[in-house]
Amino acid sequence: MIEARGLTKVYGEKTAVAGVNFTVEAGRVTGFLGPNGAGKSTTMRMIMGLDRPTSGSVTVNGVPFDRHHAPLRDVGALLDAKAVHTSRSAYNHLRAMAATHSIPKKRVHEVIEMTGLADVAKKKVGGFSLGMGQRLGIAAALLGDPQTVILDEPVNGLDPEGVVWVRNLVKYLASEGRTVFLSSHLMSEMAVTADHLIVIGRGKIIADAPIQDIINGKGRIRTRVRTDQPDQLMQLLAGDGVSVELQDNELLEVTGLDPRRIARAALDSHVMIYELTPLQASLEEAYMELTKDEVEYHSLITTGDHAPVPSGGN
Amino acid sequence: MSSTTFEPTPPSRGEHGGTAGNTANNTAGNRAGDSLSTGPGPSFPRVLNSEFIKFRTLLSTLILLGCTVLVVVGFGALSAWGTGQFAEAASTDPEAAAAFAAQGGDLAVGVPTSGIAFAQLILGSLGVLLMSSEFTTGMARSTFAAVPKRLPAFAAKLLVVMVTAFVLTAASVFLAGLVSLPILDNYNLNLDLSSSQSVKMLLINSLYVAAVAAIGMALGAIIRNSAGGIMSLVGLFFVAPIAFQLIPGDFFVEARKYLPGNTVEPMIAVEHLPDALEAWQAALVLGAWVVVPVVLAAVLLKKRDV
Repeated sequence: MIEARGLTKVYGEKTAVAGVNFTVEAGRVTGFLGPNGAGKSTTMRMIMGLDRPTSGSVTVNGVPFDRHHAPLRDVGALLDAKAVHTSRSAYNHLRAMAATHSIPKKRVHEVIEMTGLADVAKKKVGGFSLGMGQRLGIAAALLGDPQTVILDEPVNGLDPEGVVWVRNLVKYLASEGRTVFLSSHLMSEMAVTADHLIVIGRGKIIADAPIQDIINGKGRIRTRVRTDQPDQLMQLLAGDGVSVELQDNELLEVTGLDPRRIARAALDSHVMIYELTPLQASLEEAYMELTKDEVEYHSLITTGDHAPVPSGGN
Repeated sequence: MSSTTFEPTPPSRGEHGGTAGNTANNTAGNRAGDSLSTGPGPSFPRVLNSEFIKFRTLLSTLILLGCTVLVVVGFGALSAWGTGQFAEAASTDPEAAAAFAAQGGDLAVGVPTSGIAFAQLILGSLGVLLMSSEFTTGMARSTFAAVPKRLPAFAAKLLVVMVTAFVLTAASVFLAGLVSLPILDNYNLNLDLSSSQSVKMLLINSLYVAAVAAIGMALGAIIRNSAGGIMSLVGLFFVAPIAFQLIPGDFFVEARKYLPGNTVEPMIAVEHLPDALEAWQAALVLGAWVVVPVVLAAVLLKKRDV
């Protein structure tokens, strides 16, 4: 379990992470989604004790990373595919890392096999492609067989097979009860990999919700409805893909139907409604909406209405 | 790459029993907080082993070490030849004889250590590089993720480079002495490698080179840039002594004695040299030149982001 409390990092004038609070639970894949420059990597470096928080704290299993008795055995991280001396071979890099914790050579060979690096393990890392570098980074993260795995943009530069492999790997690790914290700037990747999503933009947590909320909410609209006949309206609206939640005496929240159809259904059955308010759309739209202003580097294409939302199609 | 590569191979959990009881069906939460590993952690001997692996698995490091041996032995041999020529000239030319006498007569004893200036440059640069390359390549993030207290890794690195510099310099100087012996013999000059002065010169010069390597490593940790670190080192050991000599004024004449590169001579002198530090003073000055940058580097390393 990773817990951040009021975690803040300020570089000079720029606040990279602004007092975030979140908890990454064990046993599920938690995605960390945000546009480039949102503070994902900074947050992850702070978890690993590499960047000192300006204020606040972050712990892994209740203890700050640098106070762990055997850090590599508790937490494995891929923070940067290039966190390796380019002139050293992949095998020697892993062997040196393993030596700090007396991790046997057998385990070094295991992670090399596991990540598909066997053919290039004796070659200098400097000649590796980005995808190979990612594999080496993942191998290093798994070296200590850690309870907590942190991967910063692990699928960057991977071929499609590698992407699937990482997806299956993290799911497997989570199924073993491990804490898996995975960052990406791609909603589509998160949608198929993560169980839970923490969305960050400009250093602030925008959303922290189960992925199911996002998938259910995709392309749907939540509407707040007030009526003096809530039970009747609930029955009327019930149907596939529609959920109606009674929130208060006369207050309903409807998901999966647009306001026009709710109003039509009410009118047809002579149920009076006295409020009909469209609420924030899906989390994905909220992400795009919120991050529209939060993105540090706009590209021309993404300023269009909705077109290139990397949502995995609909 | 074979297709088996992409299977989500279960990572073996059999190795370390510390996290026993992790069945796949464990639900979220119930392992959190109570699952700190009990396996071996980064104790200093392990970190030292890791740093030594890192040290010897870089080809560039091995090349620099080889160069050091070649340079020290090569200069020893050249110096033996030059000293022999000088001595030969002294036996026929009264002017050369006077110059020879002015040198104290025993030139041969300094022959094995004549390449030290270059050894210190190479091994000092190696000290810079070993540390700065951690930061320029990003390796530091791996290093300090494995050793989050940071200072043990720095201490281990320092120990590796200092011991290597000491041993390598001592061995090279001894080898240079062995190579010089037949050359000096040819000119009827006598060199006793087991004399106390020979041993003293070997040990003090080797310690000195180890100190320079430590200063280099500290500079590498402070500056985090290879070129900048090496330039600072060169500035301190090669430029400053000359600059201090050229700048008029008593202050610089006095200050020059306290430069790290000028501490060796007082320490190896047979008799106290006029207008020089005492041997113990020189040793203290050199010690301070090591301790101050190393402490500064350690403080910054602990405090700064990686």
